[in-house]
Amino acid sequence: MSILDNVAGNLAASTPGSSTELRRATWRGRLQMAVLIVVYVVMFLAFTIPFFWMFFGSIREEAEIFANLYPFTWKTILPIKWSLKNYLDIFGISDDGQKFGLQFQRFLGNSFLVSAGVVLSSLFFNTLAAYFFARLRFPLKNVLLVFVIATMLVPFQATIVPLYIVVDALGMANSYNGLIFPWYASPFVIFALMQFMRDIPTDLDEAAVMDGANLFHILWRVIVPLSIPGIITMALLEFQFIWNLFYWPLILISSPQLQMIQVAIATQTTQTQTFWGRTFAGSVTASLPVIVLFLFLQRYYVQGIALTGLKG
Amino acid sequence: MLATPISTPAKGWSRIWSRRNRYYLIAFLFVLPALINFTVFRYLPILAALRASLYQYSLLGGFGDFVGLDQYQAILSDSFFRNSLWVTLKFTIYKVPLQVLFSLILALFLARENLGTAFVRSAVFTPVVTSVIVVSVLWSMMYHSQLGLINSLLSIVGVPPQAFLSNPDRALPALTAMMIWKDVGFSMIILMAGLKGIPVVYREAAVVDGAKPWEVLWHITLPLLRRVMMFVMVTQTIFSFQVFVPVYAMTRGGPLERTKAVVYYIYQYGFLFQDMGTASAMSIVTLIILLVVSVGQMRLFRSDVSY
Repeated sequence: MSILDNVAGNLAASTPGSSTELRRATWRGRLQMAVLIVVYVVMFLAFTIPFFWMFFGSIREEAEIFANLYPFTWKTILPIKWSLKNYLDIFGISDDGQKFGLQFQRFLGNSFLVSAGVVLSSLFFNTLAAYFFARLRFPLKNVLLVFVIATMLVPFQATIVPLYIVVDALGMANSYNGLIFPWYASPFVIFALMQFMRDIPTDLDEAAVMDGANLFHILWRVIVPLSIPGIITMALLEFQFIWNLFYWPLILISSPQLQMIQVAIATQTTQTQTFWGRTFAGSVTASLPVIVLFLFLQRYYVQGIALTGLKG
Repeated sequence: MLATPISTPAKGWSRIWSRRNRYYLIAFLFVLPALINFTVFRYLPILAALRASLYQYSLLGGFGDFVGLDQYQAILSDSFFRNSLWVTLKFTIYKVPLQVLFSLILALFLARENLGTAFVRSAVFTPVVTSVIVVSVLWSMMYHSQLGLINSLLSIVGVPPQAFLSNPDRALPALTAMMIWKDVGFSMIILMAGLKGIPVVYREAAVVDGAKPWEVLWHITLPLLRRVMMFVMVTQTIFSFQVFVPVYAMTRGGPLERTKAVVYYIYQYGFLFQDMGTASAMSIVTLIILLVVSVGQMRLFRSDVSY
């Protein structure tokens, strides 16, 4: 009941009554607080226990993961004996890692390279396009905007096979180009940045025009500096989108040397089905960049999602 | 508008090269790269798929005979394709309403700002930023019939080890539960933004008029949140209909085809059976279904009242 009260309390502030009521209220308040804390802890654990299991599983000896499963105690999650062997394995440093030819540093490098390529190019081109739609004059601009917005309706996963046909015909199959080129512009980012740039007062760039500044100068000197929060937000969402991409690299890349880390985890687990420790270590490696970025820049993430409402 | 000098019948060149047209040309260069991207990578694939769907076509063999609509006929009478649409629909129907309900509860519950809610919000959002493949790999280990964490947790209350992903009746619900867990934070954020957007005066006015908190929720907050909830419904329906990664990583469509969602079936046809023609025809059919769904849902949107 107190949980429900709390929910309702968010919607309507309660008004304190007489002193006896107040005393009862503080007693009830304490109980409510205790229940609330328990609920918070349960909710927190429901969403984080899998991650703790993964993280601590990656830094313990593999046999330990299975040995402490039943009955469920703290040992099921927390390691007794710490070990970095799983990481030495997946980075090909230990003998076992070499034997299996594991080289996650390679996949990690590929992912960073592709992500940097996509984030930088898409920030550049999407900013240009957003500036066009937000501030420049052009005949039939609205038609072009519809052309851009309508691409949001093209479902991404369902049209991957057709996309592959085109990218293959362009000779970009199994290459970094094929991983980067399709994503250098995004209707969602253009739309979000456009909204952002519309809110900047126009007298600023009009003043710049009187100074004789050209359009690119206005964009670079006036609009971009004022859009930095929006640009950071979009950069984060783009990074998360491209870093976590799975289906596209899975079908596009055939040589392991070029593969991105998300696909590597899946293929490594099928090859080494029984090596849970390595799978954990690989998953931690693949998730760490996005989770760390998110924890530090949470505010921007949340803003970005509320703004675009959609991933990528 | 920039003034166009109504010039004397000048030479054609200088008329084209007028100041206004020069401005337009430069302006167009700003948007051109994006337009090229969308033409080549978003629209052209649909045309390419339309073409490929009319031919026998494989990646290795290239274009073969023109077969007209035969491949469409074949897939529409293919019981496996119909099954994959049915599986996809079931997944969507299981997932979307439950996810919206849970995210609404979370959004209402976590709207209050304090240390506790800040921690829980971060926790709820962590699966959202993690990749679907990591979540799928992790959960297939958690669902493991002997070595899984879920069975270990169930053993606390004395439940014997269960099979999840290998049980035909449980595999799809298991995938759905996992994907709700992963995506609930995403819709929660949108609903929270919606909650913040509701002017406080409405709620205050209702409280002054003596409305109970539950009445405020039911008669004021929820009706005003309807638009945002519709938006979440629409986008999540589209996302869910394209489920691929969990199927690929956890069940490969099994057991007994019970989790073979349509995008996975298309992948199988195109890349495992090397039949791009049929895969393209299936992509087109899926695309049409999704367009109909989104246009239909958007019309529902428009008829709605704004505040």
